Amino acid sequence: MKKTQDIIKLIHSLVPDNKKIRIMNVCGSHEHTIAFSGMRSLMPENLEIIPGPGCPVCVCPESDIINAINLSKKDDIILVTYGDMLRVPTQQGSIRAEGRNFRMITSPFEAINIARTNPDKKIVFFSIGFETTTAPTAGILEMGVPENLFILSSHRLTPTIMEVLVKDAEIGIDGFIAPGHVSAIVGSNAWNVFSEKYGIPTVVAGFEADNLLLGILEILRQLKDGSVRTSNVYSGVVKSEGNVRAQKLMEKYFEVADVNWRGVGYIPASGLELRDRYAERNAREVFELEEIKEAKIPGCICGAIILGKAYPSACKLFKKACTPKAPKGPCMVSFEGACNIWYKTN
Amino acid sequence: MKKIEIGHGSGGRLTRELIQKVFLKYFNSEELKPLEDAAYIRLKNHNTALTTDSYVVRPLFFPGGDIGKLSVCGTVNDLAVSGAVPGYLSIGIILEEGFPIGSLEDIVKSIGETSRNAGVRIAAGDTKVVEKGKCDGVYINTTGIGEIARPLFPDNISPGDAVIATGTLGDHGTAIALARDEFAIKSRVESDCAPLNGLLTPLFEIEGLKWMRDPTRGGAATVLAELSDLTGLGVEIFEDKVPVREDVRFISDMLGYDPLYLANEGKALIIASDESAGKIVGILRKHSLGHNAAIIGNISSKFKGARLRTRIGGERLLDVLEEDMLPRIC
Repeated sequence: MKKTQDIIKLIHSLVPDNKKIRIMNVCGSHEHTIAFSGMRSLMPENLEIIPGPGCPVCVCPESDIINAINLSKKDDIILVTYGDMLRVPTQQGSIRAEGRNFRMITSPFEAINIARTNPDKKIVFFSIGFETTTAPTAGILEMGVPENLFILSSHRLTPTIMEVLVKDAEIGIDGFIAPGHVSAIVGSNAWNVFSEKYGIPTVVAGFEADNLLLGILEILRQLKDGSVRTSNVYSGVVKSEGNVRAQKLMEKYFEVADVNWRGVGYIPASGLELRDRYAERNAREVFELEEIKEAKIPGCICGAIILGKAYPSACKLFKKACTPKAPKGPCMVSFEGACNIWYKTN
Repeated sequence: MKKIEIGHGSGGRLTRELIQKVFLKYFNSEELKPLEDAAYIRLKNHNTALTTDSYVVRPLFFPGGDIGKLSVCGTVNDLAVSGAVPGYLSIGIILEEGFPIGSLEDIVKSIGETSRNAGVRIAAGDTKVVEKGKCDGVYINTTGIGEIARPLFPDNISPGDAVIATGTLGDHGTAIALARDEFAIKSRVESDCAPLNGLLTPLFEIEGLKWMRDPTRGGAATVLAELSDLTGLGVEIFEDKVPVREDVRFISDMLGYDPLYLANEGKALIIASDESAGKIVGILRKHSLGHNAAIIGNISSKFKGARLRTRIGGERLLDVLEEDMLPRIC
């Protein structure tokens, strides 16, 4: 506790009185810790900690979810996906409300088990998330999956979206807290581009409040000294080169693609699709899925929230028409979503 | 007799047989035995507390308890935290056609044992059977009456009072979440489901005792937020003082739950004057259900609402639970 208070004091001493400093986190679990520890209430007035695009459920395109709903309505298909995806609203409802044959899983291995125990069905694994969840999906493909298992890949790349944010002058980011889990896969070196090319201090942090505070302190020190670099205060878990085996497997099975981010739009080279040579496993190809035009949710500003341009409380729907029980926008669904977290802690 | 048939709810011979062979075997109170339309019960005075609750928990059997035990504890605890000494219970059971008699017997046995442990008598009962698919195995309603020994009102609460938890928070919610087998997680967490009258009755004599509530659905956070609404006062609790089992904390982190919002079925939150709080905790800790009792916070007039002072010293709002994280928790 004393150590924590010392770090907070140092943070206060390093934030200038006459300038706003904006530090962005890009991980739903980081935002969770920040909000649930009441960290913002301890920060100096001129220091903003902004939630960025850290919630994979929130950015998953509506088109993929609607396709998943429609697949689950077919008699010979069982759709399997992570729990939060079941509740994400679309113009055609959620998977839970409108889908028919669907199951929640917590790991890709369960998808294999479901495929094995239902040999007469086609199992579509709606695989979403950043690098953290891509790696295990690549892992099951490497192990060999049953003939009746297909992947609907909606994976997204963290470094690419972060670079989009850096280039957007409206956001104005002074420092990044790099995501702990993603860094464990891609390695802290993956963030060098931000410190070297854009001059933004980037610090890999873990998920304990103390560790995050240390990360914030490190960013402020670099800003003060002008010694910008990529640092790692989560070195027990994250290595500079990351998990090389996981990276190789991802490279083997997936290729970079231009993909849509919900509420944001198409971003070049920001997602992962199965490579052509695995087309027979690709649900998009096998079931000839077509893109459905994204519908705007009236009043919802999830797009701006994902990009760090607005806080959830700025949304007209927040805590009124949009609640965790009846979410209107995707950011209110998952416990990694900024609106869901904000709802519970503010 | 292996499975519940529609006829078991007919009121005729099969019903009689079910009552004799299953219910009376475990509920052998003199009030119930005559099997009249109403039981004659003795109330020592007219200051009586009355409560009712229905139980639809899924799954019916979970680590640390079952729907039968829960249906006794929930109602006994509602009386106990209201300052009443629970006396009698009624049990209404709705059964699904085809439900195994063996499982019913396990539930009924559990009701019998728990009510004996709690020192309450089952004075009335009812059974209905609905067609297969019209209910999920068993639903139970219990009504309880008790004598008011120590009337408790939130109006007595004042700034400076202490907030006490009788033990670790979030055990029941975690046990039920894991018992549903949706998350392939193995753990030793058990529901805390227990009748609290034995633990709480000795506190009725303490002058500084002001108010109690059992934090079931919505958890401790919801109770404290409601308390703030009731009194117009602020409630602050300290994260590092709130007792939470290590495994419950770990599993909650993993699943995105907050132990402060998870249900408890064998815990109470107590508001007491600052001077009496230490004594109350001392009494609680001597009881097997109160080993982990602790003062977790206090009442303040300086702000409104309920808030958590986090481990790092930050502030976080505690609000009434909006999202039912786990439907059918009790």
